Amino acid sequence: MALSKIDVANMLTGATPVANGGTALTSGFKNGTDPRPTSKPIIVNGNMAVSQRSTSVTGIGNGGEGYHTIDRFKFEEGNTPSAVWTMTQESLTSGNAYNAGFTKALKMDCTTSDDASGHANILNVVKYATERQDTHLFKKGTSNAEKYTVAFWIKATKTGTHICELRDNANDRACSVAYTVSTTNTWEHKVLNFPADTTGAIGTGNSKGLEIYWSLYSGSGYQGATLQTAWGGASTNARYTGQVNNADSTSNNWHLTGVQLEIGEFSSTTLPPFQHESYGDNLIRCQRYYEKSFEQGTTPAAGVSAPDGRVFGSWDGQSARTEIDFNTTKRASPTVTVYRGANTGSGTGTGTANFIYSGAWNNHGTVTNHADDSHVSLTATTGNFTTNAAHVADMNFTADAEL
Amino acid sequence: MFSSVKKIVLDKIEMKMLRVTFLDGKISDVPKDDNNRHYQEILAWVADGNTIEEAD
Repeated sequence: MALSKIDVANMLTGATPVANGGTALTSGFKNGTDPRPTSKPIIVNGNMAVSQRSTSVTGIGNGGEGYHTIDRFKFEEGNTPSAVWTMTQESLTSGNAYNAGFTKALKMDCTTSDDASGHANILNVVKYATERQDTHLFKKGTSNAEKYTVAFWIKATKTGTHICELRDNANDRACSVAYTVSTTNTWEHKVLNFPADTTGAIGTGNSKGLEIYWSLYSGSGYQGATLQTAWGGASTNARYTGQVNNADSTSNNWHLTGVQLEIGEFSSTTLPPFQHESYGDNLIRCQRYYEKSFEQGTTPAAGVSAPDGRVFGSWDGQSARTEIDFNTTKRASPTVTVYRGANTGSGTGTGTANFIYSGAWNNHGTVTNHADDSHVSLTATTGNFTTNAAHVADMNFTADAEL
Repeated sequence: MFSSVKKIVLDKIEMKMLRVTFLDGKISDVPKDDNNRHYQEILAWVADGNTIEEAD
């Protein structure tokens, strides 16, 4: 820095020196005084960079509730909606969100439309959930309760009113905020303020705490009363009043990235910058909720090539067992799925692995005899193993501890 | 959600896991952990009148 640009005036007065002689901010983010009480972003994978399960899944609709692509972001539905979506991890190469530093986004592409007239209580949402133990920093349920700011980049074909909702899963309390998409198919940054809630402490533990819902569309049963813009007991007919129908045409798309949850009330000018993490740091945080032995970029499936190096030990010639330590401690005991590798086998191939004995690969069933937050133990029983011998297995696995 | 849910028994000992076949045919093992979302769904599935089968 040139000597002429050193902020001598502020140094002498004790105020925060500002590079290049600018004016120090007096509220919101200030150089060296980030208002956040956390070193990491509260939202995990808010930049949509990690998508371990798949990068694109078609046919998501009625009965399709779950995590499909982007880690931590869940599709939920209710009451037999007719809309069908393709959910994708989208790569960005231009646009306002890209220019703001984001290269990935969650995209919902409507492939079967629904005018929402079939059932009053149909619902499609994208949801993010925190753990309760990560949520008390908002001091919810105390006299010191903090306000919430939810910020994100959105691009939607449908302009007009959209709804974002915060829910306290522990106390079944909720609050919604309407926002406007002004220009069709154009990235827009939204900064939404939610009030503090002095009622209902969320508590601790690893179950669902605070949830953020982005409505895609809903039936009249979710829009029958005035939108609930103050915290209160969750009221179904006040959740999404005014929400446009993103599913009323197969030409519609809905995109989301750059999701931030901040403590306190911020505007578009005072909002602290998005906390970008390295892909590796982001992945490790995601692995608390979902881990796979497949290479990143490979969708878990049977018949995918595996390292062929996992070893099962047999103590009686009948059964053999192996233990796997997880990369990261899981939120809870995970659901375990074993996938046979590429060497042999047929059918769905889940719940089986390939084992080498008698000079050939053989496909056999496996079961999980134990799973906790740190490791899993798998057992195969064939009757063809060799007593007190090790058998190489060809398999992959996933461990799912999502909320 | 599920086409079947079965107990897992090894060496005549019932494990704290359940073998689940999802409607799409995927087979997974779910721990009997109240904080596992699939176990929560199994409990709801049973409450709807479905039955956890004995092990093979």
